[in-house]
Amino acid sequence: MCVTQHFWDFFVSGLANGFVYALIALGYTLVYGVLQLINFAHSEVFMSGGFGGLFVINFAIGSRHPHGLSSVWFVLVGLAAGAVTGGIVAYILERVAYRPLRRRNAPKLAFLISAIGMSYFLYNLAGKEFGRDARTMKPPFTVSPNKPLFTVFGAPVNLYDAVIAVSAIAMLILLDRVVQRTRLGQGIRAVAQDADTAALMGVNIDRVIAQTFILGGLLGGAAGFLFGLGTAGVSYTMGFTPGIKAFTAAVLGGIGNIRGAMLGGLLLGVVENLSSACFGASWVDVVAFYILVLVLLVRPMGLLGERLGRSA
Amino acid sequence: MKRRFAAAVIPLTVAGLVVSACSSGKSSGGSGGKPVFKIGYEGPLSGGNAQLGLNMKYAVQLAINEANAKGDLPFVLQYTEADDQGSGDKSPAAAQQLIDDKQVMAVVGPAFSGATKAAEPKFADADLATVSPSATSPALATFGWKTFFRIVADDNAQGPADADYAVNKLGVKNIFAIDDASAYGQPLEQAFENQAKKDGAQVTHQSVPGTTQCQAGSGNTQQYPAVATTIKNSGAELVFYAGYYCDFALLAKALRQAGYTGKLFSDDGSLDPKYIEQAGASVAEGTYISCACADITTNPKAQSFVTNFKKLAGFDVSVYSAEAYDATNVIISVLKELGPKATRAQVVDKLRTVDYQGITKEVKFQSNGNIAGSAVYIYQVQNGKIVSLGLSS
Amino acid sequence: MTLRRVWAWATSLRGRQLWVTLAGALVVDVMTGPSGSLNDPTAGFAGSLLSRRVGIFLLIGFAFWLLVTSRERLAAWSRSWTAAVRPSRWLPSRWYRLAAYGVLLAVAIVLPLVLSPYWQEVAVDQIGVYVLLALGLNVVVGLAGLLDLGYIAFYAIGAYSCAYWTDSLPIHPPFVLNPFATIPFAIAAAMLAGVILGAPTLRLRGDYLAIVTLGFGEIITIYATNLQSVTGGSPGNSRPIPHFSINLFGLHYRWGIDNMPYYYLLLAFVVMVIVFFHNLENSRVGRAWTAIREDEVAAAASGVNTFRYKLLAFAIGASTSGFAGVLFASKIQTITPLSFLLQQSILILVLVIFGGMGSIPGAIVGAAIIQWFPNGLKTYVRKEDLFLYLGALLVVMMIYRPQGLIPSRRRARELALAESGLVEADALTTASRDV
Repeated sequence: MCVTQHFWDFFVSGLANGFVYALIALGYTLVYGVLQLINFAHSEVFMSGGFGGLFVINFAIGSRHPHGLSSVWFVLVGLAAGAVTGGIVAYILERVAYRPLRRRNAPKLAFLISAIGMSYFLYNLAGKEFGRDARTMKPPFTVSPNKPLFTVFGAPVNLYDAVIAVSAIAMLILLDRVVQRTRLGQGIRAVAQDADTAALMGVNIDRVIAQTFILGGLLGGAAGFLFGLGTAGVSYTMGFTPGIKAFTAAVLGGIGNIRGAMLGGLLLGVVENLSSACFGASWVDVVAFYILVLVLLVRPMGLLGERLGRSA
Repeated sequence: MKRRFAAAVIPLTVAGLVVSACSSGKSSGGSGGKPVFKIGYEGPLSGGNAQLGLNMKYAVQLAINEANAKGDLPFVLQYTEADDQGSGDKSPAAAQQLIDDKQVMAVVGPAFSGATKAAEPKFADADLATVSPSATSPALATFGWKTFFRIVADDNAQGPADADYAVNKLGVKNIFAIDDASAYGQPLEQAFENQAKKDGAQVTHQSVPGTTQCQAGSGNTQQYPAVATTIKNSGAELVFYAGYYCDFALLAKALRQAGYTGKLFSDDGSLDPKYIEQAGASVAEGTYISCACADITTNPKAQSFVTNFKKLAGFDVSVYSAEAYDATNVIISVLKELGPKATRAQVVDKLRTVDYQGITKEVKFQSNGNIAGSAVYIYQVQNGKIVSLGLSS
Repeated sequence: MTLRRVWAWATSLRGRQLWVTLAGALVVDVMTGPSGSLNDPTAGFAGSLLSRRVGIFLLIGFAFWLLVTSRERLAAWSRSWTAAVRPSRWLPSRWYRLAAYGVLLAVAIVLPLVLSPYWQEVAVDQIGVYVLLALGLNVVVGLAGLLDLGYIAFYAIGAYSCAYWTDSLPIHPPFVLNPFATIPFAIAAAMLAGVILGAPTLRLRGDYLAIVTLGFGEIITIYATNLQSVTGGSPGNSRPIPHFSINLFGLHYRWGIDNMPYYYLLLAFVVMVIVFFHNLENSRVGRAWTAIREDEVAAAASGVNTFRYKLLAFAIGASTSGFAGVLFASKIQTITPLSFLLQQSILILVLVIFGGMGSIPGAIVGAAIIQWFPNGLKTYVRKEDLFLYLGALLVVMMIYRPQGLIPSRRRARELALAESGLVEADALTTASRDV
């Protein structure tokens, strides 16, 4: 079969993609959990995180060629820059596009249209202001081609993949802690379960929603930085495809379910790579779509079920 | 209140339409009694394909500026453009815009083959000559449009030449041929594959959709590492890529990172220094690129073109810029011959018989509009620069 | 002391409106200002925010705020048309409505004759076809309340069907047809696709329907691109699709590359579709759709077979789209996958929402205005920045006038009730509030 040879090669690189999807999917899932809203503009939060990380890293690295411990420092700086940019853009999104609509009890469609409008606006603004070419970041670590860090069952894992995996896992664990242990997390779960009751219990709905957006934005922005570290670099259109894939991943895992988003992201990343190996790169999106439809038909609440409040 | 608002909407709409209709089609006057001849450019100026379109736009402008500056023309040349976003559904409107402007004497473009297919019937009906610098679809020459001309050689000329070079000259027997699922890449890869198989090579084909980096692609940049792994595991000696420089750079990087050590070969969509820039000099080293165009870096006439283009556009000469420059200059030479009383029909007829030495090739057209002579040159990236290796055969 | 007073005023309604207006002025400044580039990313921001421009824009913003908030009557007027619309008493009787349509029709017939060929082209390719598409999507989104983000897929299916049956694709049909005769085949194909897509997915929640239709739109394009030997792949159909022609009962007419005959044909079809949809809206089917849209659970409890009616809406929308595809294919004569991007699905959704969901005149006017924008403002606005303005327009519309330009009366009532907190605004909202 097409996947038995070199299975681990594709699995490993698929996981790397999957981690990025997972980080973005969390943004979708968090917002859906509290607002029952598909935040279509989250792909631009991802993109802005990429640009934020790009500018800060390029400025910080200057003309150096970092390696060793300074690489770790630069990666952390980049992640922070990406996350902060993503968080800011997500917050702006909430205040400008969604809060006025919530005030008016607007229909779901209005939220959706507003989201699409903000998405168009943001990525065209980025294209206008930063130019429409792709730009690569100055590498915060030196990658030697064809010399992997280590191998897993014979599959090479290079430094870039490892950086993505480690950063993503750290952020996912952090998020899990925040949602389970902190007051903010409590608030999020409360609002996700039943907003009205939560309000009666004294939860400041507006604040919790804003904080949820920011949280999702932090993760999405950091994902943007990680994505931008790769060969394709950062471009104003970089948000679109990963955004749709990540949303598919979130639905796959169970929208509103944090662990589901993580699982969905990783699963989608691996499945995509394997289907690229079997059917060719041009059929990957089709396979992803069929899997989504299959899951929705057989298990519409997603693999791990829905709702932050219930089974996060 | 509402009724006034709603009632205002309809007449406003109508008024808007009328106002914009009446204000379009304004022509500008010439200076000193000389007639104004406009050369139009139709190509993608917005949307995902804009970068490719802009490469050509500035070349056209440059040629026009240079001709005006020489001061020996009996007419004033002006530039005008129409944006078709590289797609067939916007193209007829863009074409109509150029046709409506009676001062437009000829058009450079349409840049993309799909746009040409959709718009050329209108151009043919209006007797407005179009010289395309980049539409490579072989089918375009079969529809019998008398206004259709192209500077670039079509896929049926380039693909087989590439295949012969790869199999016969480079001696590879196992080839992995990739197209970027664009209207440019798909037919080119097919032509290459057919000829390569005829020459006796084993060809594996995969379609890897191009990304949005320099064209309106639908591909996913994250898929390239997986494709690279597949290619490396297939044991191919040469990878032929039918697509544009930005996606080729991505693929090249992914290939080298995956440990692929074979050769890389692409066509004129990659003949761009940005390929080396984006892929990195070490990755790009040794890449073969073919083009049915002569080397402009060793041509002294082309030197001033390169420097002046950079001054005008703000970026370096890029894919198809030189062809667009030649196309404009061919039109200018024809207009010069015809003088201030030129008409569109005369331009069409004159282009049939023109013989102009451009910077990329000698420009002569066949009766179906194709360029006469399709010498294919092979280039190679050596030490961070694109160097010509001469003719492919 | 004074600081507190300043702060109190700043956070009052008028103060907040001032900040919002000034911020909006800055945004408009950046939007219309110079662009940055790869090597100079701050050029755009610096050029618009650190120059004289910002002063001018802030001044305009301030003046606007002053004007709108301090004059009581103006304030009342602006509040009135941004508030939820009370059902309009404007067109109470059928005859007024008919007269309005009549005037619109007359204008539509006469106006293009005075336009330049370029505008005629735009009227057919970009406005006319999209009006038809908007009308179709209006049924799906506006009347039945289903969110379809892959609408362009049915358009593609209709266009490729037309290409297939007129023998323009690499694969040959069993018999060759005139483009007019392909219309029923194209409609059937699109309707079939709509049913196949809808049958499993319409039972899902609205948000899931959105993503599935989005995916469907994408994969149709992918199939069209990848199956080169069937569809011609990226370069498109191998032989040009013939123009329409009529050859029966002694009537011989060939449509050619001239725009006007196509325009009138399109106008005739649009009128037919309007009449059909209008009757549909006021029939039992239309009432079922309204019931489903307003409260699906109650509708089901009242005996409405919600699934069947949703499927019907989906199928009707799909067939309208397929129909438009035939017109498009035969006019442009060449179709490529690039003509059927996701962007266009979303654009059509925008047209419907902007014009007014569920409202036929709304869909028409919305489509006409937004499709006019890129062409009418061509000389004043850089082409690349177009979607920037469109995106901003959408957000502003949704905040200040979500019912759209010309709201349907029913929809207006629903929104008014929703805003006062009595009911949910639509089925989508209701469904997702289920615990």
